[in-house]
Amino acid sequence: MRSRYPKRGSAFEYYMWLFTRLSGVLMLFMGAFGIVYANLAGGRTLMDMTTQYRWAFFPTYWHVQNSDIPDVFPNWSNSFWQVYAILLLLVAAMHGFNGLRGVIEDYIHRPYLLLFAKFSVYILFLFTLFTAAVIVFELFV
Amino acid sequence: MFQGRHVGYLEGLRYKGKAPMLAWALHRITGLGILLFVGIHVIAAFFLNAIGDDVSTTITTVYESTFVQIFVYFCVLYHALNGLRLIIEDLWPPLLRYHRELLWFQWLVFLPVFGLPAFFMVVSILSTGV
Repeated sequence: MRSRYPKRGSAFEYYMWLFTRLSGVLMLFMGAFGIVYANLAGGRTLMDMTTQYRWAFFPTYWHVQNSDIPDVFPNWSNSFWQVYAILLLLVAAMHGFNGLRGVIEDYIHRPYLLLFAKFSVYILFLFTLFTAAVIVFELFV
Repeated sequence: MFQGRHVGYLEGLRYKGKAPMLAWALHRITGLGILLFVGIHVIAAFFLNAIGDDVSTTITTVYESTFVQIFVYFCVLYHALNGLRLIIEDLWPPLLRYHRELLWFQWLVFLPVFGLPAFFMVVSILSTGV
């Protein structure tokens, strides 16, 4: 006999569903805080608006380096922003690559191809994180 | 999403879902657009700093051009607004009764907030050519 209710999804899918919502709101707030901070740190007089908005997406000093900031280190370059940037990128990458997994599961139905595609997404995710860590903590300099 | 439905691509295109379907499709397209841009940006920045090769220099000049910036701005703004509407509807389901009105309201917010900066970006392209 068929159940009256549709089959329940796994707990993992529920948590990813929840994570997508929460991380979406979190990224909006983190971006807003970045813009507010950039204004407080004198961004209004130091750089043009587009450069300042770049700070919202990835707050590392070389992201705004092209403008005339006299001394980058007191406000624009410290470990707070390094942690902030890596956190923002971690959340964004998880949100993004989980979304990509959703799209892939919608369009690929062959099991082994799906497995391969999901594996590739996971590798790309790890590579992005590694790359971001190298950039943010300047490990190659 | 996340459920195996066996509908062909052409069949999917024949489905006329109007405004909600447009929102769904645009949310998906803009999400992939952001992922593509951010992925290329991060990886190109990595190779530019690590090796400094010509390929990543070229990629960097491409995504720093105003055309790409307008596209990225469209993607980020649409995805953020549509996602926010989605979250609000999820948190408070009675709002789903006004789903279509909310979609219209979303376009009402989106068009000026996207249009004004995009207009000035196009003006800057016309005057400087980048």
